[in-house]
Amino acid sequence: MALTRRSTRPRFTLLLLVLAAVTIITIAYRGHADSVINSIKGDALDAFAPVQSAVGDVTRPIGNFFDGAAHYGSLQSENARLRAENSRLQTQALQSADAQASYQALLKTLNLPWAQNIPTVPAEVVANSASNFEASIQLNKGRDDGIDTGMPVVSGSGLVGRVVVASRSRSTVLLVTDPTSNVGVRFGPAGNLAVAAGQGTGAPVRVDLIPPQVPVDKGELMYTSGLQQSIYPPGVPIGTVLTSGVPRGSFEQAVTLAPVADLARLQFVAVMQWAPKS
Amino acid sequence: MTALLRGRVVLIVAVVLIIQQALMDALKVRGAHPDLMLLLPIAFGLVGGSERGAAMGFVSGLLADLFVGTPFGLSALVYTLVGFGVGMTGGDRLGGGWWVTPLTATLASAAGVVLYAGLGAAVGEGQMLHAHLATVTIVVAVVNGLLAAPTARLARWAMNLGRPSGAWYTPVRSESR
Repeated sequence: MALTRRSTRPRFTLLLLVLAAVTIITIAYRGHADSVINSIKGDALDAFAPVQSAVGDVTRPIGNFFDGAAHYGSLQSENARLRAENSRLQTQALQSADAQASYQALLKTLNLPWAQNIPTVPAEVVANSASNFEASIQLNKGRDDGIDTGMPVVSGSGLVGRVVVASRSRSTVLLVTDPTSNVGVRFGPAGNLAVAAGQGTGAPVRVDLIPPQVPVDKGELMYTSGLQQSIYPPGVPIGTVLTSGVPRGSFEQAVTLAPVADLARLQFVAVMQWAPKS
Repeated sequence: MTALLRGRVVLIVAVVLIIQQALMDALKVRGAHPDLMLLLPIAFGLVGGSERGAAMGFVSGLLADLFVGTPFGLSALVYTLVGFGVGMTGGDRLGGGWWVTPLTATLASAAGVVLYAGLGAAVGEGQMLHAHLATVTIVVAVVNGLLAAPTARLARWAMNLGRPSGAWYTPVRSESR
């Protein structure tokens, strides 16, 4: 072996490594090893959790300090605005409590599921996406706390995404803005149905399959449809209509949504312990 | 490679992985963050030649794949090719100016990101091609260009290659810097 011609060795190594990589991609792509790969990914997340927490504890206050110092003025005005909004919402909450109670009673009699009756696990966001080509977040809780893959994740106000990897102490959530995310939506008094597709981090969510004659109002709230075999329960707010209109010569409306949840600044979320019914 | 040198390589990979996961992923410029795992094979390819570049690319790529949702093995494939390609140019070992290392790293990083998105699209992840690809390419290329020189020095230390030499087969046994 010592007499192997040296000039061909790097190419042989390259060939071997490329073949290995292509084999791994193929096996992963065909889904034969999904459980194995997911468990390895989970182990990697678990192994990394303590290091990440330790480094995060050191770096986060520094980042927060600079962030806070830079935005002190805007924080003050935001605080005042939030106070005003808070008092307005308190009044509104009192008014809607009665309506909600009767709505729940109605759902109960009709034996329908409702998103707000599903038990949730609160979790903290510890990291952003590790990839530039994916909109995801990492949570500080995992299987040990009752989180499993496929569970929907919400923040106080609306849909965030769903769990795609769950290890013992960590879980990865694919956001609704990820280009591979599709959510069935329902909107309007007639209960029109459509599909909300992500367009990447920071970009609004695109809503497909709305016929031109269906009225869509700016600012209208869209909810998960929760149809049979849907990956989300019904009635979770997704976003408000940002733009709508029928492009010339098109057979469907061009509608975009601004997600209700502030996906760029998520700190705490709730994981719904809910699995799609097959 | 002796056990000591192997230990050094493992140490560097571990440290870079921690920096990437804990710091770089949080450092977002217009929604894109730097990718130091791609810089590893570039540095090792520059300093150690195509074979070491490819091997490091495979290892760092597989590690990177563990933490992302893009097709598993894609980073391993792309980083292997990038490490090999950089090694083929022989940049650092040919001597040349101080700018050779940063420039090679910048160009190789940009090529790596575009190749990554392109191959991703080829295996069915078409959205990778238009999802702010230009921003990602620029951020990764610029940061890797800036960090190329110190990383190349680390790679030289790990492989115990004292200074740039003409042929990487020549055993260089001088002390690391």
